Amino acid sequence: MTPIARQTALALAVVLCSASPGAGQGGQGAAPSLSDAEIAHVAVTANAIDVEIGKLALEGASGEAARAFARTMITDHTAVNERAGALAKRLGVTPADNAVSRSLQEGAAQAKAQLAGARGAAFDRAYVEREVAYHQAVLEALDGVLIPGARNAELRALLREVRPAIAAHLEHARSLRGSLAAGR
Amino acid sequence: MSTPDPGRSRVWLAVLSLLAVPWALEAATWSAPAPPAPRRHVVEIRGFEYRPAALRIAPGDTVVWVNRDVVPHTASATKGDWDSGSIPPEGSWRRVFTAEGPASYLCALHPTMKAELTVR
Repeated sequence: MTPIARQTALALAVVLCSASPGAGQGGQGAAPSLSDAEIAHVAVTANAIDVEIGKLALEGASGEAARAFARTMITDHTAVNERAGALAKRLGVTPADNAVSRSLQEGAAQAKAQLAGARGAAFDRAYVEREVAYHQAVLEALDGVLIPGARNAELRALLREVRPAIAAHLEHARSLRGSLAAGR
Repeated sequence: MSTPDPGRSRVWLAVLSLLAVPWALEAATWSAPAPPAPRRHVVEIRGFEYRPAALRIAPGDTVVWVNRDVVPHTASATKGDWDSGSIPPEGSWRRVFTAEGPASYLCALHPTMKAELTVR
């Protein structure tokens, strides 16, 4: 695992444990400790981070496969955030900053700094490896904390609607990682 | 009493048969079932899946892809001979299929999304 991927996984592990004490041990029925406004903020932050990293990858990636993946990440996570913003507005909810969102932002800052030092094929591999770890962690956060913790039915429905996108991105990133490792 | 000439009977039979051919052909034309009218099939894109993931259609049928996801998708032939381009959320794209055969396709933006189309 690259330093970027390890850092991302660690940050999200902190997220999971801090948001739901039982989640890390596979506990059932652990009381979610985030409000809907905080869950909305985490979701918006997670999407915005992947858009930022995707823009960085469009500038730094050398291969068309990594660049195409980055374009898809920018398009998809932007679309999800537009939907989330519209829902928050309709519900009269102001996304509330919280420790989980801050942890994600700190992790993103480190990932960006590490990617800035990579070049060529090494950049592509580091970016895709980071995307695998990030989407894996976000998927676990959705299943362990965000979806079960959302009290508002529409927020919960949106999170459920987004889940297949994260799962597909993860599968796509894993496939791309295999291709890059094989030199294709 | 004279016996019928077998040769003459065969000639008459042949003449009658020839006369009957156009009538028989016309009758066959009347009774043949009309070819089925082209149908319209809908493939819904939802939850990063094509639904149905396998579809069998007849030549001349139309397939409409409707995107019910939050993000854009495409329906792109694996062989590359047809491509919807980006279908926006709540958007749709249609194509009439005339050539028989299998036609697998995928989403060019999310290549893990795959489906099968059979024109027969």
